[in-house]
Amino acid sequence: MSLFDKFQTTATQYKALREGIGRDPFGVSMDEMKGPTRAMVNGKEIVLAGTNNYLGLTYDDRAIAAAKDAIDQSGTGTTGSRFANGTYAAHRQLEIDLAAFLGFKHCMVFSTGYQANLGAISALAAPPEDVILLDADCHACIYDGAQLSGAEIIRFRHNDPESLDKRLGRLGDKVKGKLVCFEGMYSMFGDIAPVKELIDVAHKHGAYALLDEAHSFGVFGDNGRGVCEAEGVLDDVDFYTGTFSKSLASIGGFVASNHPELEYLRFSSRPYMFTASPSPANVATASAALARLKSDPSMRENLWQNAKRVHAAFTQLGFDLCAPESPVIAARLEGREQAFMAWNFLMENGVYVNLAIPPGTPNATSILRLSVSAAHTNEDLDAIINAYTALSEMLSAQAA
Amino acid sequence: MSSIQEDDDLVFRKIASLIEPLNEKGVKLTRDTDLIADLEIDSVAVLDVVMDIEDSYDISIPVNTISEIKTIGELVDAIHAIKKEQS
Ligand SMILES: Cc1ncc(COP(=O)(O)O)c(C=O)c1O
Repeated sequence: MSLFDKFQTTATQYKALREGIGRDPFGVSMDEMKGPTRAMVNGKEIVLAGTNNYLGLTYDDRAIAAAKDAIDQSGTGTTGSRFANGTYAAHRQLEIDLAAFLGFKHCMVFSTGYQANLGAISALAAPPEDVILLDADCHACIYDGAQLSGAEIIRFRHNDPESLDKRLGRLGDKVKGKLVCFEGMYSMFGDIAPVKELIDVAHKHGAYALLDEAHSFGVFGDNGRGVCEAEGVLDDVDFYTGTFSKSLASIGGFVASNHPELEYLRFSSRPYMFTASPSPANVATASAALARLKSDPSMRENLWQNAKRVHAAFTQLGFDLCAPESPVIAARLEGREQAFMAWNFLMENGVYVNLAIPPGTPNATSILRLSVSAAHTNEDLDAIINAYTALSEMLSAQAA
Repeated sequence: MSSIQEDDDLVFRKIASLIEPLNEKGVKLTRDTDLIADLEIDSVAVLDVVMDIEDSYDISIPVNTISEIKTIGELVDAIHAIKKEQS
């Protein structure tokens, strides 16, 4: 019995909240997709504002055609890893295209973004002499990669170069390799890292900088190369990690670097070697979406225009927003119960957003996370803003 | 009272003062208090408290060490061990 005891506290809490509202925020079923921003849920059409479909490319004509062709030509699955079972030409081509787009010499494609971080971090650092320093708010896959490496892990304060500086400064002479991990835009609050300062601090101490641009690739920078492009420090990043699952509307991930040693990971990174490589359709989709991203800045322009409109509207409604304008717009609620109730209210008003409640959220906050897409139409945005307007009226009536 | 014991009390009191705001159930804090089981503090909040401790003592406490710590007493002991090693 003791195997299951550890789940009890959280399970009981969720059950009480779920039964209170009659819906499960962590198990919403989209019964039928109606396009990049709409789905049928319980017989009702809902506006999707809780995705990571930043550029809105999930129904891109060329990407769909490329995926169909890839299945016709190369089949449905690769049935194995590149290390054991071989690389398809399309895997290699995508690595070349990504490296060229970002301006790095080397790139490795993984089966998911989770595995890209897991694979890079776990292979790069090793006990007993290496140390990994990570931003306190880093995504689970960065923590897990660090754990898998077995190396010593030290957290620094979120987005705080001085806190990193202190921790690097305290490391003794016995430490050999130092790897500093952080993200471009953070997924839950939509806040941006001071990437230039963090990289400067890392390099000052002889450490390598690993930057995960999972949510900012395709979104930030003049060419969509991420926050590091926007800050003018792309060339200073030692390891750039990303995913195909957000702006590229596919599944997969990658690590890019100018260090030729990146290639060693092909025979030392377990999350690369011991899992099936991305399917032909996934690779073809990512390639087509990348081509579109390179040639068509209008999606990024739409995305930002939409983000600005929603951010301004929510600010005016008086919501406690977690960050300045960005495509992730998170509103802080008073606690778990209020956030649960607010989330359900938005669902009833036809808008799906993400609920994030403790345990596990930064500073134990309860938030509603909304993500804007370039594919959101003005009608979609009206529906979102109307639902939040009704929510803010309901919350202030309750407070009165 | 030996100086080690005195220092022990100081570290304990420092930790207790940092944890008290999270002690919603008003549990009496002792060396044997289990941070997660007794206080129901979220695991991320434990890491955040540790970050405050790190900055108070100018030491680094690896996440690997924290995951093995259950009670306040174990945290006090870990801080002593690290202070000794890093000074
Ligand atoms: C910061 C960050 N890195 C990596 C990932 C993992 O991406 P993927 O969905 O490709 O596994 C995510 C998404 O969940 C993320 O938010």
